[in-house]
Amino acid sequence: MDWNLLFSSYANVFLDPQVLLMTLLGAAGGVLLGAIPGMTATMGVALLIPFSFGMDLIPSIGLLLGIYCGGMYGGSISAILIHAPGTPSAAATLLDGYPMAQKGEAGKALSVAMFSSFCGGVIGALIMTFLSPLVAKVAMKFTSAEMLMLAVFGLSVIISISGKSIAKGLISAFFGMLLCTIGLDPTYSKQRFTFGVTSLKGGLSFIPVLIGLFAVAEVIAGVERILSGRESAQAKSTEKITRVLPDGKTIAQTAPNILTGGIIGTFIGAIPGAGGDIAVFVSYAFNKGLSKHPEKWGTGIPNGVAATESANNGCSGGAMIPLLSLGVPGDSVTAILLGAFIMKGIQPGPMMYVSELPTVYKVFAALMLANLAMLLVGCAGVRVFAKIVSLEKRMLYPIILVVSLLGAFSINKNVFDIGVCVFFGVIGWLMNKYEFPLSPILLALILGPMCEQNFVRFMDLNQGNFGAIIHYPIAIGFFVVAVGVVIFSLINQRKINQREAANKAAAAE
Amino acid sequence: MEVKKTETKAFSNLIVSMALLVFEVWAWLQSNNIKTSKGAAVQPSTFPRIMIIGMAVFTVILLIQSLLKLKGMKADDPLAEKSETLNFIKDKGVLAALFVILLCVGYVFFFKSLGYVVVSFLLCGIIMWMIGLRSPVKLILISLLVPLGMWLVFYKMLKVNIPMGVLQFLKDLVDKI
Repeated sequence: MDWNLLFSSYANVFLDPQVLLMTLLGAAGGVLLGAIPGMTATMGVALLIPFSFGMDLIPSIGLLLGIYCGGMYGGSISAILIHAPGTPSAAATLLDGYPMAQKGEAGKALSVAMFSSFCGGVIGALIMTFLSPLVAKVAMKFTSAEMLMLAVFGLSVIISISGKSIAKGLISAFFGMLLCTIGLDPTYSKQRFTFGVTSLKGGLSFIPVLIGLFAVAEVIAGVERILSGRESAQAKSTEKITRVLPDGKTIAQTAPNILTGGIIGTFIGAIPGAGGDIAVFVSYAFNKGLSKHPEKWGTGIPNGVAATESANNGCSGGAMIPLLSLGVPGDSVTAILLGAFIMKGIQPGPMMYVSELPTVYKVFAALMLANLAMLLVGCAGVRVFAKIVSLEKRMLYPIILVVSLLGAFSINKNVFDIGVCVFFGVIGWLMNKYEFPLSPILLALILGPMCEQNFVRFMDLNQGNFGAIIHYPIAIGFFVVAVGVVIFSLINQRKINQREAANKAAAAE
Repeated sequence: MEVKKTETKAFSNLIVSMALLVFEVWAWLQSNNIKTSKGAAVQPSTFPRIMIIGMAVFTVILLIQSLLKLKGMKADDPLAEKSETLNFIKDKGVLAALFVILLCVGYVFFFKSLGYVVVSFLLCGIIMWMIGLRSPVKLILISLLVPLGMWLVFYKMLKVNIPMGVLQFLKDLVDKI
């Protein structure tokens, strides 16, 4: 590594006012877009890419990376405050973030999310700087067998996010995987479960389902609670936010989760086709498994927020690895970034490290700057964002509903998606009522298509012989880890149930 | 106070698992309608069927668990607690939830013809009134300004074209400005 060039590139980027301004603007835009349910970081980058046409490469990359990093954090704001993840990558943040907000700790949850996002992003950027060629080489060896087993590995965390009933968690997961099969099948284009509805041919859009299951279901349940007298309509958070960053004790408490989350996020982000949405669940399950008090996870603890938020921002660095070293985008945002590079006459790939090394280092620096900009914007906004929950519930619920339904519409500009959103709102409400966990559906919706496509591809390549998987050592490795995770999660869940029963008995005495 | 067996969580699990089994049988029958593909190692119906089988296996487990619990349930068992209900006659909250769902269905049907701002104004206003907001000023201001503000953000800043229905003139006005 050319250290002199690396340092001078960092200095060039950090001292260039245009780059600073563009990255800050990008981060602010990303945070705002990410916070709107239905608006993803991908959409933000796609929307704002025309503004970068007239700029030089580094300011435009700074702008786009700012949106990317800001969007990743922004998604957590609505997940924490209104139970509607702004982006799919924030889907796991609500597991602990929303209960924290309900306990009157919305400000703390937001500051932990922001700080963890920043640290995760920095970890991702550092790993990208030092390990990008190596990681990319491993990730690019992945064939359909490895991708299939990666999806299976991702699904193995379902047990640890299933809550009290593993059977219910697995029913939710299989239901989610079944939902993924609606529409034209990806290999032979045969219609499945479309019932003659044209809008179903393309399958269910992920975002309307996500918004329905979480936000709309929460509004329906909230109205029910108010009218049945279990919640006050005038209820509002009275939390006083005295600081925008978490205190030293919280940082020390969450540091291991941030570190592991950042590393998990970076490595998963480096695998093309796998992104923040998968990494957050893997990180959550991993950190919960290692925790001394796994029974507290999901009840509103900062560790849960830290584990997920550091993972999704770690992905931003990870996703840049295959982009820069092989010219293959790691996710949809980096696919757009690839377009931005090509527009500027630069072809990312192995040759970029030879012919455009200063540019590569400047991109590393721009990612680091984007994370700093996100932290600044986040610090400035925590108090403002937290004000949302200080609204009375009787005003907040209807507002969430109309904003969420618009978010569902905006994805494909299709009224059908609002119907899908409402339908899954009802499903989510019923599932909550009868204690079926929602997160496994989400994970299944993310991993289902990846699982099926690679399963079909693998079986076609091997003439229907699934046993051929033994010739793929990395795939077998993933499978072994997945089995280990399942066994570990089962033991862990048993411990949680035992501890909860003991606590209950002690309380009764 | 001891909860009646038919009102426990274990009993509701039993009913839910039976309903799920019906759904799974229906889904399996529907999967028979998926066309086959000649020479394919994996048919288009294979993956959904694996998922239906997986779902059915765990539904049966839930059903057996519920039956066993109901047979010898202790009072301190978590599944002996009172279950949530869908009885809208007994529970005003459930009735309100069903009404909100009905409103949302209406919202979908009238979204295009009336436009986002009008349907959102009605939805927002009715729900706020239903859950106890009686100040007409707050009711009207919030129900009007939130959808209007959201429309402006999406239309002007994010370039998302949202149906305005009867308020189409607003779009023309904003375009002129």
